[in-house]
Parts: sequence; C-alpha cells; structure tokens
Amino acid sequence: MSKINFHPDHSHLLAFATGEGQPGTNLMVSAHLDLCPMCREKVREIEAQQAHSEIEIAALDMMPGNYAAMLNSIMAKPLVADDVIGASYPKTIELDGRHFALPRTLQRYVHKTGNWSRLVGKLWQAPVDLGGVGSAHFIYMEKGGRVPEHTHRGSELTLVLDGEFSDGLNHYETGDMTFLDGRHQHTPMSDADEGCLVFSLVDKPLHFTSGLARLLNPFSHLFMK
Amino acid sequence: MLVGLPLDNQTSATMSADENDKLCHWLNVVANDRCRQSFTRLFNHFAPRLRSYALKQFGNEAQAMELVQDTMTNVWQKAYLFNADKGAASTWIFTIARNIRFDMLRKQQSRKEDICSEDLWPVLFEQTADPKALSMEHNITLEQVEQYFESLPQKQKDVLEAIYFEGKSQQEVADELGVPLGTVKSRTRLGLQRLKEMLNEQD
Repeated sequence: MSKINFHPDHSHLLAFATGEGQPGTNLMVSAHLDLCPMCREKVREIEAQQAHSEIEIAALDMMPGNYAAMLNSIMAKPLVADDVIGASYPKTIELDGRHFALPRTLQRYVHKTGNWSRLVGKLWQAPVDLGGVGSAHFIYMEKGGRVPEHTHRGSELTLVLDGEFSDGLNHYETGDMTFLDGRHQHTPMSDADEGCLVFSLVDKPLHFTSGLARLLNPFSHLFMK
Repeated sequence: MLVGLPLDNQTSATMSADENDKLCHWLNVVANDRCRQSFTRLFNHFAPRLRSYALKQFGNEAQAMELVQDTMTNVWQKAYLFNADKGAASTWIFTIARNIRFDMLRKQQSRKEDICSEDLWPVLFEQTADPKALSMEHNITLEQVEQYFESLPQKQKDVLEAIYFEGKSQQEVADELGVPLGTVKSRTRLGLQRLKEMLNEQD
C-alpha cells in the first residue's frame, strides 16, 4: 500500500470521534480511516480520552430516573437475533470495464451512484446521492485529465481511492484526504498511466479562476455542484 | 427488585486497571451466561454516568433517559461483541452511546441524509460474520476451510450449517433444535471464532 501523506487534521478526527462533526465530513473521515491504520489508532485514543472525561469521571447523576424499572425492562426483553449474514454491498465500482475496490464506508453508496458522464476532456464523474449533505461524486481522471483551475466558495473534501494526482499545490496518492476551501486555488490533474479515482464532496459549486474556464462559472452548478 | 445505588466514591482522575478488569469480567459473564447479576452491576456503574453524559448532550430528561436505556439495552444484548483487546470497557460503552446520540439527533432533525451511525462507526458490527471475506484475505483454499469446519464440535457445526448453508435465521434454528436463542447465538459465535483462530494460525 502506498504511503499516505495527507490526513484529516486533529479537529476533524475529534469531531468524528465525538460524533459532533458534519455528517458528510464524518463520512469522508470514516472512508479515510478504512485506508489509514495510523488515523484509526488516533481515533481510538481520542475515543478512550472521551470515554474517560465523559463517562468514567462523569458526575453520578442519581436524580429522578427510575433506574430499577429501566433495568428490569431491559433484562425482560427477549434476545434479538443477529443479522448473521448481514447486508452485503458491492465491494467495487465499475467504469468502462475496470473495477475499483472501495473502502467499506463507501460500499453502501454504490447503488446510490448515478451513471458516469464525461465532464470535460478526460474527466468522468458519477453523482452519489447522500441525501442533502452537499454534493458527492466519484470522479475519474484519465491520464492527462485535468479540471480547470478553480477555487471554492464552500469547502471541498477529496479522498484518493485509486491512483494518484497532482493539483499544482501537492501530489496525492491512494488514501490521501484533502480539505480545501476558498483560500485555495488549484488545478487537479492526473499523470498516472492508470489515471486516478477520487471521491469528492463539495458544499457549494466550484468557482473557476482562469481563462476560458471562467465562462463555465455560470454553469458550474450543472456539472460540479 | 431492588437496585443498589452505586457506592463507589471514585474520585481519582484515572481509572485503575483493576477497575477495568472488573468491568470487562462482568461484560464477559453477561456475554457467555446472560448473567443478570453481572449486568445489574454494569448497569449500576454505567447508567448514572451515561445519564450525566446524555443530559449534557440533550438537556432534557426524556431524551437523556432514552439514550441511557438504548445504550444499556445494547450492552445487555450485544456484550459478546465487546473485545477487551481493542480498548477499555468504558470506551466501548461510550462509542455505543455516541452512536445512539447521533441517530437520535438525526431523527429529531429529520435530516434527509441517510448516513447512519453504523456506517461511520461499526461498533456493533460482527467482525467474524463473513467467512468468505476471511478466506480471501488469508488466501486459503475451500478444502482447508472445509477441513477446519469438520474439526469443530458437532453442535457448533450444526448451527453454522443451518445458518450459512441453509440460510436459516438464528430464531428458526433455535426453534428447530428446541434450544434458547442465546445458545444458538453463542454456538454461532464460538464456531466462527474457532474457525478464525485456525485460519490465523495457519499463516
């Protein structure tokens, strides 16, 4: 496995571990954790700290709660059978005959993924319906594929699922997760022979900043919102 | 039934290893024997602490008590999923409470998105439930799996066969064999665990 260089920062991991982060961001962090043992370990540590401060040393709240009745009703409930086989989701996503393995977190969104469409040049995207937490897409850049230079009015989270790409700021490999907002301008492109598959979540349409691509701005919500 | 109030006047900032050992032991006994006394002890230890956490999160009585009840219900039903190698007992219970809080808020705000807690934090997820995934990971042949399977105790084999080969539910198996559901669950779990151990040993 390639080395992961770009990780969620501590505030993202903390918000994830406490459950207080934005659902979309949490989803992205969760998919990154599937690929990154180091961040999984960090989250385990944060959970242990939270358990300590929120539960272990919490004040014992004995107030009016009718604990005895609650205890009895819990133990009176019949044992629920496990869903042993469990729901199984597709483990891969397909584009043009190629199958890309997905992290566990994203597998259940395969059937909520729309058709691939060609964006501009060597760029493909498929929309993923998360139900209103910003706009999510699988994006595939063929070798040499590039997204016109743009900035963000909101934030853009990207997780590299397969291959590698550069954006004029940095070089990203499988497992890397990036967080960009209006302060950053970038031009993502892939030079890898195998191209590059990413999962992207943006909360506002992109804003193109250079050349002819600026003409795209009025329409940017149509393809990369 | 009278529930004793927790009497531990624990004031130290760190929980001792002994304390955790004790909680882990109770979870273990609940998992294996459905021991009501051990569960009562766990309940007395955790319910007031969870309530304190829940009140801070929700600020109202009804929801706080719902969170305590749902969390402790999961502890009663799913204690067998606790793995002491992965962390402290209180950490496991905190993660269950966090997940329940997340789903309660989601319902309350009737958020449209369909991201639920188990997608993000598979705390109550049976890691050994998919023998197929195991065999791929360990690159072993079906013949080997069959050989290992044959070496399991007959009672575990019967249960696993009915569930995995015949596609029956745990409840159906329990009814057919005339044993309690808890017995079917523990035979399933022990059988899968043993299979997993054998697969790991062979690496």
